[in-house]
Amino acid sequence: MTADSFLFWMLAAVTLCSGLAVVVISNPIYSALCLAMSMVGVSALFATLGAYFIAGVQMIVYAGAVLVLFVMVLMLFDLKTELVTFSRGKISGLLKIATVGVLAGFLAGAFSMTIEFAEKTGAATTVPTPDTSKALGTLLFTKYILGFETLGILLLVIAIGVVGLARSKGGTHAKH
Amino acid sequence: MPSIDIVTHIGLNHYLVLSALLFVTGMAGVLLRRNVIVLLMSIELMLNAVNISFVAFSKYLDKLDGQVLVFFVMTIAAAEAAVGLAIAVSIFKRYKEVNIRFFEHLKG
Amino acid sequence: MGSDAFEITINCIKLILVFLLMVQAVPVLVWLERRGSGFIQNRFGPNRVGPLGLMQLLADAVKFLTKEEFSPKAATKLLFYAAPVFALIPGTLGFAAIPMGSPLHWGNYVFPIQGYDVGVGIVFILGVSSLGAYTILMAGWGSGNKYALMGALRASAQTISYELALGLSIVGIIMMYGSFNLSEMIHAQQGTMVFHAFGNTISTSWLPNWGIFYQPLAAIIFFSAAFAESNRLPFDLAEGEAELVAGFHTEYGGFKMLLFFIGEYGHMMVASGLMVTFFFGGYNIPWTTTEQVYQWALGLMDSSDGASALTSLVHFLSYMIKLGFFLWIFIWVRWTLPRFRYDQLMDLGWKTMLPWALANTIVSAIVIFAVSYSW
Repeated sequence: MTADSFLFWMLAAVTLCSGLAVVVISNPIYSALCLAMSMVGVSALFATLGAYFIAGVQMIVYAGAVLVLFVMVLMLFDLKTELVTFSRGKISGLLKIATVGVLAGFLAGAFSMTIEFAEKTGAATTVPTPDTSKALGTLLFTKYILGFETLGILLLVIAIGVVGLARSKGGTHAKH
Repeated sequence: MPSIDIVTHIGLNHYLVLSALLFVTGMAGVLLRRNVIVLLMSIELMLNAVNISFVAFSKYLDKLDGQVLVFFVMTIAAAEAAVGLAIAVSIFKRYKEVNIRFFEHLKG
Repeated sequence: MGSDAFEITINCIKLILVFLLMVQAVPVLVWLERRGSGFIQNRFGPNRVGPLGLMQLLADAVKFLTKEEFSPKAATKLLFYAAPVFALIPGTLGFAAIPMGSPLHWGNYVFPIQGYDVGVGIVFILGVSSLGAYTILMAGWGSGNKYALMGALRASAQTISYELALGLSIVGIIMMYGSFNLSEMIHAQQGTMVFHAFGNTISTSWLPNWGIFYQPLAAIIFFSAAFAESNRLPFDLAEGEAELVAGFHTEYGGFKMLLFFIGEYGHMMVASGLMVTFFFGGYNIPWTTTEQVYQWALGLMDSSDGASALTSLVHFLSYMIKLGFFLWIFIWVRWTLPRFRYDQLMDLGWKTMLPWALANTIVSAIVIFAVSYSW
């Protein structure tokens, strides 16, 4: 077993187990902390794929900002362990799990079909890829510039919307 | 021996299967949980699963476009989390619980 | 990690040494902080145990270790015990990624004098140190105490707010050096000031080629945001004694408290190390280049291995002096300035530092483009 494969299996185990824990654990705060763990695992997986910059951004944006926001909101609510964690109805629950299973089957089938194509075009390289941050930036600001600008507008709209939503009907800064 | 090869030789399919499993886990969370914030977290999990497959394809096809898409997904995820949490907070202020079932009061 | 057993062994030992360096610097800093605060406030610091009170550190350590081990009744045990351990992670991982001396060439091997060389160094350090918010939240919520929770919420809100200003302030630096890698940034800052503008080369002999002369505003914003990042005065709202007892570590005592202390000093050391790396030439001795120091060392030593080792040592000392200076500024500010009010703190972060950092980024981009464009 080489170091690379060991790393992959370990990270995959961490990511999947903590991902599963998010869904299963009934205390939402533990769920959020497990999700943070999963994000760090995903970030490390990005690093094993040679996407170092994306890995760092994943760490800063997801683990460092978005998830901290979740944890903060949960702690502000101070929810205890939920008595009823999952939605009611045994039959509908089974149906939902069956749906998920079928989806998993579809995905596996789709992947097994695409893999031959992918392995043909790009040989799996074992050498560590050089730092691609510069090329990534160039691509983002040339080919994908329209999407980038659109996202900027979207973020502005969302920032305004969220401020509006949070201020309405008494927030922490409401004028009574 | 293929059984050994699967363990030691990590390729695109490993990452894709991992991504699929993570996506399915997230989807199960969305379908089964009742707490709105856990629902949002499960959606984040699904988006992350998609990100893994983007980056994996970007490496094995030797194109950077996948990584650019990861940027876009992250931005959308952050925006979605902000809006979702704002709605959850306003639901919580009214009902002191963040059950998904209270969202039916949003109409009108 | 390395190509053969020797290199791997050395690299592992190096990791441990960097960690020990960070942890062992903490008692010295605590001593410096207490003596310094005594000096600033015109009173004696610790002066009973040993010469100049230096043995006070050992006495403190023994005291911390022999304290009663307890957890509050309302606490969530797992989070309560996990938080102090997690507190060590951001500082340790971040500090190990900062170069502390010129690379050591020994035979065929090259050993960077740092824990590990990360290609996207600064992104890695920012990412790791952003995990610090979890420690605070876990400690605050896990204690089961409302003061602790309030302190934790304040502290984490502050940390993630100031991360924006911190991240944006160094974009100008990154654009100027064209790299995320800290070693390359340090490499670009050696010698006296030389830069190319509009096709001409402008050089001075009296200024070192430091980042602060190119990006003074970024340096100011970065340093003040770093204070807020590490929850130090004047931004230590999380532990405002008058309002919140001791903030998120109200319920902690003994060795668990000490771990939070080490975490806080680790944050300070990362911030000071980055300040030195970005704006004050890193490990370089002012006005000299690495090559000049190496030539000087060759004159003293007969072998090139020895000369390289001496060069690394000299640079390491230079780095430590600069690092110590900034750590002293951290302490100095703590005992000089009063604390902000919470709304003032948020206003400063979002309405002052963030716009200035953005403006700095845009102006830097325009200037860099104009200067390097072939007209």
